[in-house]
Amino acid sequence: MKFKKTLAVICAVAMAVSVFSGCSSKGNTSSTPEGTASTTPSSEISNEPISFSMYYSDNATLPFKDDWLTIQEIQKRVNAKIKFEVIPIADYSTKVSLALNTGNNAPDVILYQSTTGENASLALNGAIVPISDYSNLTPNFNARVKEFGLEKDVERLNLKDGKRYYLPSLFDVPFYDGGLIIRDDLLKKYNLAAPKTFDELYNVLKVFKDKNPDSYPLTILAGPRVLFRMSMPSFGISVGKNGAGGSKVLSWNYKQQKYFSGAISDEYKQYVSYLAKLYKEGLLDPEMADPIDGDKWAQKMATGKSMATYAYYDQIGGLEGASTIEGFDLQMYPALEGPAGAHHQQKNRTGAGIMFPSSTAKRTDFDRLVKTIDEMFYSEDNAKLWCLGVEGITYTMNGDKINYADGIKNSPNGIYKTMQVEYGCGSDVTQMVWINKREMTKYDENYARINAEVEAMGDVIQSIPPMPLFDDMTAEEASTLQTPLADKFEIWIDAFITGKKSIEKDWDAYVKEMKDLDIEKFCELYNDNLK
Amino acid sequence: MRKFKTTSDIVLDIIIYIVMIFVLLVCLVPFIYMFSISISDPKAIINNQVSLFPIGINMEAYRQIFQYPNFFHAYRNTIFYTVVGTSIALVMTTLFAYPLSKSYLRGQKFAMKLVIISMFFSGGLIPNYLLISSLHLTGTVWAMLIPFAINQFNLIILVNFFKSLPEELEEAALIDGLDYFGILIKVIVPLSTPALATVGLYVAVFFWNDWFNGLIYLSTDQYPVMLFLRNIVNGTTMVGDAAGSADKSTIAISIKSAVIITSTLPIIILYPFLQKYFVKGLTVGSVKG
Amino acid sequence: MFKLTEQTNEPLKRHIKKYWQLYVMMILPIIYFIVFKYIPMLGNVLAFRKYQPGMGPFGTRWVGFTYFKRIFKDSAFWRAFKNTLVLSLGNLIINFPIPIIFAVLLNEVKALKFKKFVQTISYMPRFISTVAVVAILGELLSPSTGMLNNFLTSIFGIEPIYFMNEPQYFRTIYILTDTWQFTGWTAIIYLAAITGISIDLFEAASIDGASRVQQIIHITIPSILPTVMVMLILNVGRLLSLGFEKVLLMYTPSNSVVSDIIDTLVYRTGLANQNYSYATAVGLFSGIIGVILVTSSNALSKKITGDGIY
Repeated sequence: MKFKKTLAVICAVAMAVSVFSGCSSKGNTSSTPEGTASTTPSSEISNEPISFSMYYSDNATLPFKDDWLTIQEIQKRVNAKIKFEVIPIADYSTKVSLALNTGNNAPDVILYQSTTGENASLALNGAIVPISDYSNLTPNFNARVKEFGLEKDVERLNLKDGKRYYLPSLFDVPFYDGGLIIRDDLLKKYNLAAPKTFDELYNVLKVFKDKNPDSYPLTILAGPRVLFRMSMPSFGISVGKNGAGGSKVLSWNYKQQKYFSGAISDEYKQYVSYLAKLYKEGLLDPEMADPIDGDKWAQKMATGKSMATYAYYDQIGGLEGASTIEGFDLQMYPALEGPAGAHHQQKNRTGAGIMFPSSTAKRTDFDRLVKTIDEMFYSEDNAKLWCLGVEGITYTMNGDKINYADGIKNSPNGIYKTMQVEYGCGSDVTQMVWINKREMTKYDENYARINAEVEAMGDVIQSIPPMPLFDDMTAEEASTLQTPLADKFEIWIDAFITGKKSIEKDWDAYVKEMKDLDIEKFCELYNDNLK
Repeated sequence: MRKFKTTSDIVLDIIIYIVMIFVLLVCLVPFIYMFSISISDPKAIINNQVSLFPIGINMEAYRQIFQYPNFFHAYRNTIFYTVVGTSIALVMTTLFAYPLSKSYLRGQKFAMKLVIISMFFSGGLIPNYLLISSLHLTGTVWAMLIPFAINQFNLIILVNFFKSLPEELEEAALIDGLDYFGILIKVIVPLSTPALATVGLYVAVFFWNDWFNGLIYLSTDQYPVMLFLRNIVNGTTMVGDAAGSADKSTIAISIKSAVIITSTLPIIILYPFLQKYFVKGLTVGSVKG
Repeated sequence: MFKLTEQTNEPLKRHIKKYWQLYVMMILPIIYFIVFKYIPMLGNVLAFRKYQPGMGPFGTRWVGFTYFKRIFKDSAFWRAFKNTLVLSLGNLIINFPIPIIFAVLLNEVKALKFKKFVQTISYMPRFISTVAVVAILGELLSPSTGMLNNFLTSIFGIEPIYFMNEPQYFRTIYILTDTWQFTGWTAIIYLAAITGISIDLFEAASIDGASRVQQIIHITIPSILPTVMVMLILNVGRLLSLGFEKVLLMYTPSNSVVSDIIDTLVYRTGLANQNYSYATAVGLFSGIIGVILVTSSNALSKKITGDGIY
């Protein structure tokens, strides 16, 4: 037995050493799964295709297909052999985080990521290639940034060390892609004008409720975060899941260019009072606190249980086809005016993009890889490919006008959706260059008209406030402060809206609780670490 | 033997049958509901007309999921993991459980403590991931099969079952000249079919339903079908801040239901085959007395 | 009964020589336990170190008991702790006896085909993944379109109740769905134990004129008692580990007063907020409590029934 024990101890120690030495000398094991990439010869023989692996975030509504036109065509065009790791979107961040955190089994390229939140500390700890150091390898990207005038925006993506760790996707003009959607046929039927302010919206909902007592006129797609994101800016705040700077309880003051404690501000009080009024009078869907999945949402809208909603424009086409109500007609409206003007959700002109794990930099053909990626996603020809497909197959040009192929044009799913599902075009994951005008050709004229209207209104779409640049210890301090604050906030906002707590009577108690949890210190932390 | 039922027996029978019928209803209704949704006309669903039985017949949902790339491939992977994983687990668990059931064996208590303690402390995600990748198991099917070879809970069930077997049998076998391996294979295992079938089923369901380990350790073409289910049922109602496309995408409830049905059915069908071992166990058990 | 071995004073050499095969059997499983269960456990040192991404558990800085001190100060932790205990005790009280009763009753069904049928149906819910269970739940309980609310409104005229969001329903819903999912399944263990009972015992009792109710009380239940005890100890030991995925999927801010359990807290601080060390400390802490619980219940069981699981 003694012998066995000794043996066991030896075993354990040996294993432990092998396991943990493996990670202290980070990533000396082959960086690519199954060594697909390491077989590539190091010299730059350009007619030999470059092969690499790539994480792809897969959305079940448009499942990735190896034989998508775009995927096949791009590999031919840039002479590459890509091994796609197709990972379900719900678990994408887990998989990416594990690969980067441990440095083991990382792919060569990761799509659809940014360095906000967690990835920032990974980047500062050297898990990600600082791609801004290699800007000579990304000429197409650089040219795009210049063309769209995004130099400032891109610079804002730099972390504390002044480096940028990913190639973001780029938008020439931010889209107005979702907002207040109302049953137009009912507006006409009850002889109502389209609402322009939140007070007018209240009146419209009130009429809907009077005429249909068992309805809950306003519902939301997906959950309250969509409503909050789309309506809070008009009240001058943005808190909750999509709160400013990932803070959940702070907001950004655009005039003074600094953070303030949005969750306990008067603006916020005004906002919840408004929602509480809607809720109390049965104008707001009582299920709003919970994630409402697409089916339930569609059911409510299609059956007339709800007549107005905050949602995304591309969802309403399917709904109109499904409803059995005669004359069913949905229309999206520009952002409503609130106490702080008419604003829509804050949006960046840069989005999630491409990241290289640090193990990739060890590849002898790293330069060629980066050049290939740059060519693949940012060059004019290939940007067009990810958006429109291949000329002659998915579309033809008639002078300046894009003509989609008949099969796409006449598809019941609409151009946009058909292009995504059948050809892999227009996916958030692979399209890095977004030109509003080009995108609008995929939708009906209404969408383009609303987008034009919104653009004409001026600064409806505000930019996302700058992220504070925390070092490791401050980041931990901030997150320790944040968790209980965000919890408390979530509980109270629900209680306020649903009337479980009275805004008049309990507001001070709420503010006190938030202050006891150091919301002011948290806010200071944010302001102190701005650039 | 008594010939007539007493009143208490009759009351017992009535209670039993009421309970059983209630259980049947409760267990079946959600399945019927999902099945009905999966084959109903989408318009009927969206207009809230389907209550329990299908309205109109529409196989579109099934046609669509069969068209998903890799659906059948993932299915095949899952069957492979379930069959091979369960076999490995049964062998490993039995090998450990048998010596552990001998309380006279020195070190048995220590080994048992080793098992119990490991039930309550785990290293967490990152150390586990580091281990599997340092052993070069990531991206291989072994990452799915080996780390879950012994579940402590199942092990304890089996240990206790072995303990309950009569020692006389073993004694007789020793006198007949069998060694311990021989006893395990020729005497213990045949006597333990009910317990082994139970443990086997537990393990099989674990392998069938696992998606998380598949996700983090395997590559795309090795994914099990449950990951597919998870992606479809849960992929659009994700928790977190990654807004944008996740908020926008919706998947019809009919497709969700169809995926639930198709991915659940095979493992359900497995059970009746195992059930005969339970019956067999009954007759063998009577040797004991 | 004659003991197969009187080992107490046996010299080690002879012991090993006699049982070497039993030791050989254990080699592979023991290696397995060390490699796959104990080595990752070393990762728990993170509870005492400040985790840095990309560094592994040993490349980081010692911080001593900082994170444990934080646990004791953290009101969110104690709320989660209380919620975990209440929920799992409730779950134990309801869902521990039900499968036993079900197994005993099912065993009394004499129509074999029907018995088999009921058994097969009853374990079916176990095969639906948690994700799907919660999705179905939401569908059935929805205030606007759900079956249950439609029913309540039309029969009793009750205003629709938002079951999934009201804190007072959370525990009931959690426990009842567990009953639904696991009753038939857990009963398999007890049925296996019951099938192990000798038929002769029942026949003898039957000849003595014992009614079936008496047989249940005097033969069936005592015979499966050891199994029941083992299951009880295991369940008590797992009091702090609930179905994490299910709670997470049922979690809403407004029911968080009762639904925030230790695991969801660990998830929120560890994965969502990147406080990995603190999460490890919380996990370690609840592991220690689990060990205390299982050790004491095992000791208690040994005292009462003379037998424990180890």
